[in-house]
Amino acid sequence: MLKKKIQIENAVRKLRFNNDEMTQQQLAKEVGVSRQTIVAIEKYKYTPSLDLAFKIALTFEMEIQDVFFIHQ
Amino acid sequence: MNIKIRNTLAEITGASLAMIWMWLNLTEASLMTIQAVSKVLAQGIGGSIILIIVLHIIFNILSSIITGQYEEDIDDERDKIFELYALQVSSAIFGISIVATLVLLGWFNLTIISGLIAITFSGFIASILSLLLKIYLYK
Repeated sequence: MLKKKIQIENAVRKLRFNNDEMTQQQLAKEVGVSRQTIVAIEKYKYTPSLDLAFKIALTFEMEIQDVFFIHQ
Repeated sequence: MNIKIRNTLAEITGASLAMIWMWLNLTEASLMTIQAVSKVLAQGIGGSIILIIVLHIIFNILSSIITGQYEEDIDDERDKIFELYALQVSSAIFGISIVATLVLLGWFNLTIISGLIAITFSGFIASILSLLLKIYLYK
Protein backbone atom coordinates (compact mmCIF):
# COMPACT_ATOMS: atom_id res chain seq x y z
CA MET A 1 0.00 0.00 0.00
CA LEU A 2 1.26 3.47 -0.89
CA LYS A 3 0.99 5.52 2.27
CA LYS A 4 3.73 7.95 1.39
CA LYS A 5 2.56 11.35 0.11
CA ILE A 6 3.34 11.67 -3.58
CA GLN A 7 4.48 14.84 -5.28
CA ILE A 8 2.70 15.32 -8.59
CA GLU A 9 4.61 17.49 -11.01
CA ASN A 10 3.72 18.70 -14.47
CA ALA A 11 5.09 20.02 -17.72
CA VAL A 12 2.39 22.62 -18.29
CA ARG A 13 4.79 25.58 -18.39
CA LYS A 14 7.09 23.84 -20.89
CA LEU A 15 4.16 22.71 -23.03
CA ARG A 16 2.74 26.23 -23.13
CA PHE A 17 5.99 27.58 -24.51
CA ASN A 18 6.19 24.75 -27.03
CA ASN A 19 2.69 25.65 -28.19
CA ASP A 20 3.42 29.02 -29.78
CA GLU A 21 4.14 30.53 -26.36
CA MET A 22 0.56 30.16 -25.26
CA THR A 23 -0.21 32.51 -22.37
CA GLN A 24 -1.56 31.37 -19.00
CA GLN A 25 -4.73 33.35 -19.76
CA GLN A 26 -5.21 31.54 -23.08
CA LEU A 27 -4.80 28.12 -21.45
CA ALA A 28 -7.11 29.14 -18.59
CA LYS A 29 -9.78 30.20 -21.07
CA GLU A 30 -9.33 26.99 -23.07
CA VAL A 31 -9.93 24.72 -20.05
CA GLY A 32 -12.44 26.99 -18.26
CA VAL A 33 -10.55 27.99 -15.13
CA SER A 34 -9.04 31.21 -13.79
CA ARG A 35 -5.48 32.28 -14.64
CA GLN A 36 -4.61 31.97 -10.94
CA THR A 37 -5.42 28.25 -11.06
CA ILE A 38 -3.00 27.75 -13.98
CA VAL A 39 -0.35 29.71 -12.03
CA ALA A 40 -0.91 27.47 -8.97
CA ILE A 41 -0.70 24.30 -11.12
CA GLU A 42 2.55 25.42 -12.75
CA LYS A 43 4.08 26.18 -9.34
CA TYR A 44 2.96 22.70 -8.09
CA LYS A 45 0.90 24.47 -5.41
CA TYR A 46 -2.31 22.89 -6.62
CA THR A 47 -2.98 19.45 -8.05
CA PRO A 48 -5.91 19.65 -10.48
CA SER A 49 -8.83 17.25 -10.53
CA LEU A 50 -8.74 14.37 -13.00
CA ASP A 51 -11.28 16.22 -15.14
CA LEU A 52 -9.14 19.36 -15.36
CA ALA A 53 -5.93 17.35 -15.85
CA PHE A 54 -7.51 15.59 -18.86
CA LYS A 55 -8.72 18.92 -20.27
CA ILE A 56 -5.19 20.37 -20.03
CA ALA A 57 -3.68 17.26 -21.65
CA LEU A 58 -6.28 17.39 -24.45
CA THR A 59 -5.49 21.07 -25.06
CA PHE A 60 -1.87 20.12 -25.77
CA GLU A 61 -3.00 16.96 -27.65
CA MET A 62 -0.96 14.77 -25.32
CA GLU A 63 -1.50 11.80 -23.04
CA ILE A 64 -2.24 12.76 -19.42
CA GLN A 65 0.88 10.91 -18.13
CA ASP A 66 3.06 13.09 -20.36
CA VAL A 67 1.67 16.24 -18.79
CA PHE A 68 1.28 15.13 -15.15
CA PHE A 69 3.76 12.76 -13.54
CA ILE A 70 5.06 11.69 -10.14
CA HIS A 71 8.34 13.12 -8.88
CA GLN A 72 10.77 10.22 -8.42
CA MET B 1 -4.24 42.09 -6.90
CA ASN B 2 -6.57 39.62 -8.59
CA ILE B 3 -10.35 39.80 -8.73
CA LYS B 4 -10.84 37.14 -6.02
CA ILE B 5 -8.77 39.02 -3.44
CA ARG B 6 -10.45 42.28 -4.46
CA ASN B 7 -13.95 40.84 -4.00
CA THR B 8 -12.97 39.25 -0.68
CA LEU B 9 -11.57 42.58 0.52
CA ALA B 10 -14.87 44.24 -0.48
CA GLU B 11 -16.73 41.67 1.64
CA ILE B 12 -14.42 42.20 4.63
CA THR B 13 -14.77 45.99 4.35
CA GLY B 14 -18.57 45.77 4.06
CA ALA B 15 -18.92 43.43 7.03
CA SER B 16 -16.50 45.49 9.15
CA LEU B 17 -18.29 48.78 8.39
CA ALA B 18 -21.66 47.20 9.22
CA MET B 19 -20.24 45.87 12.49
CA ILE B 20 -18.85 49.29 13.43
CA TRP B 21 -22.19 50.93 12.57
CA MET B 22 -24.09 48.43 14.73
CA TRP B 23 -21.60 48.83 17.59
CA LEU B 24 -22.01 52.62 17.53
CA ASN B 25 -25.80 52.26 17.53
CA LEU B 26 -25.78 49.74 20.36
CA THR B 27 -23.68 51.64 22.90
CA GLU B 28 -26.85 52.24 24.92
CA ALA B 29 -28.13 48.69 24.38
CA SER B 30 -28.81 48.10 28.08
CA LEU B 31 -31.32 50.96 28.02
CA MET B 32 -32.90 49.95 24.72
CA THR B 33 -35.94 47.73 24.20
CA ILE B 34 -35.54 44.37 22.47
CA GLN B 35 -37.48 45.75 19.48
CA ALA B 36 -35.03 48.63 19.09
CA VAL B 37 -32.00 46.33 19.38
CA SER B 38 -33.49 43.88 16.86
CA LYS B 39 -34.16 46.77 14.48
CA VAL B 40 -30.51 47.90 14.65
CA LEU B 41 -29.26 44.33 14.11
CA ALA B 42 -31.61 43.74 11.18
CA GLN B 43 -30.59 47.05 9.61
CA GLY B 44 -26.93 46.16 10.16
CA ILE B 45 -27.29 42.75 8.49
CA GLY B 46 -29.30 44.17 5.58
CA GLY B 47 -26.97 47.13 5.27
CA SER B 48 -23.90 44.88 5.15
CA ILE B 49 -25.37 42.93 2.21
CA ILE B 50 -26.11 46.12 0.26
CA LEU B 51 -22.72 47.59 1.22
CA ILE B 52 -20.87 44.47 0.02
CA ILE B 53 -22.66 44.61 -3.37
CA VAL B 54 -21.89 48.33 -3.74
CA LEU B 55 -18.22 47.82 -2.71
CA HIS B 56 -17.88 44.93 -5.20
CA ILE B 57 -19.05 47.27 -7.99
CA ILE B 58 -16.84 50.18 -6.83
CA PHE B 59 -13.72 48.00 -6.42
CA ASN B 60 -14.19 46.46 -9.87
CA ILE B 61 -14.83 49.81 -11.57
CA LEU B 62 -11.73 51.28 -9.90
CA SER B 63 -9.65 48.26 -10.92
CA SER B 64 -10.87 48.51 -14.54
CA ILE B 65 -9.99 52.22 -14.60
CA ILE B 66 -6.51 51.65 -13.12
CA THR B 67 -5.53 48.58 -15.16
CA GLY B 68 -7.52 49.52 -18.27
CA GLN B 69 -8.93 46.02 -18.71
CA TYR B 70 -11.94 44.03 -17.53
CA GLU B 71 -11.15 40.94 -15.49
CA GLU B 72 -13.75 38.18 -15.64
CA ASP B 73 -14.63 36.47 -12.35
CA ILE B 74 -14.41 32.73 -13.05
CA ASP B 75 -15.35 30.29 -10.29
CA ASP B 76 -13.42 27.06 -10.78
CA GLU B 77 -12.68 23.90 -8.76
CA ARG B 78 -9.86 25.57 -6.78
CA ASP B 79 -12.20 28.39 -5.72
CA LYS B 80 -14.78 25.83 -4.60
CA ILE B 81 -12.18 24.10 -2.40
CA PHE B 82 -11.26 27.46 -0.83
CA GLU B 83 -14.96 28.26 -0.34
CA LEU B 84 -15.32 24.94 1.46
CA TYR B 85 -12.36 25.64 3.79
CA ALA B 86 -13.79 29.10 4.55
CA LEU B 87 -17.23 27.61 5.20
CA GLN B 88 -15.76 25.06 7.59
CA VAL B 89 -13.94 27.78 9.54
CA SER B 90 -16.94 30.12 9.73
CA SER B 91 -19.30 27.26 10.71
CA ALA B 92 -16.93 26.11 13.46
CA ILE B 93 -16.46 29.63 14.88
CA PHE B 94 -20.17 30.46 14.65
CA GLY B 95 -21.19 27.12 16.18
CA ILE B 96 -18.79 27.47 19.10
CA SER B 97 -19.91 31.10 19.61
CA ILE B 98 -23.60 30.14 19.78
CA VAL B 99 -22.94 27.41 22.36
CA ALA B 100 -20.65 29.74 24.38
CA THR B 101 -23.26 32.53 24.26
CA LEU B 102 -26.06 30.24 25.43
CA VAL B 103 -23.89 28.87 28.25
CA LEU B 104 -22.83 32.36 29.36
CA LEU B 105 -26.44 33.61 29.18
CA GLY B 106 -27.53 30.97 31.66
CA TRP B 107 -24.40 31.10 33.79
CA PHE B 108 -24.32 34.85 34.36
CA ASN B 109 -28.08 35.32 34.03
CA LEU B 110 -27.64 37.83 31.20
CA THR B 111 -30.46 39.45 29.27
CA ILE B 112 -31.76 38.12 25.96
CA ILE B 113 -30.56 41.37 24.35
CA SER B 114 -26.94 40.49 25.24
CA GLY B 115 -27.38 37.08 23.66
CA LEU B 116 -28.91 38.54 20.51
CA ILE B 117 -26.05 41.01 20.10
CA ALA B 118 -23.37 38.40 20.90
CA ILE B 119 -24.76 35.90 18.36
CA THR B 120 -25.07 38.53 15.60
CA PHE B 121 -21.56 39.86 16.19
CA SER B 122 -20.09 36.35 16.37
CA GLY B 123 -21.68 35.69 12.96
CA PHE B 124 -19.95 38.74 11.52
CA ILE B 125 -16.61 37.83 13.19
CA ALA B 126 -16.85 34.24 11.88
CA SER B 127 -17.55 35.59 8.41
CA ILE B 128 -14.62 38.05 8.53
CA LEU B 129 -12.19 35.36 9.79
CA SER B 130 -13.26 32.95 7.04
CA LEU B 131 -12.76 35.73 4.47
CA LEU B 132 -9.26 36.39 5.84
CA LEU B 133 -8.52 32.68 5.45
CA LYS B 134 -9.69 32.93 1.82
CA ILE B 135 -7.29 35.84 1.19
CA TYR B 136 -4.45 33.79 2.72
CA LEU B 137 -5.31 30.84 0.46
CA TYR B 138 -5.59 33.02 -2.66
CA LYS B 139 -2.14 34.48 -1.95
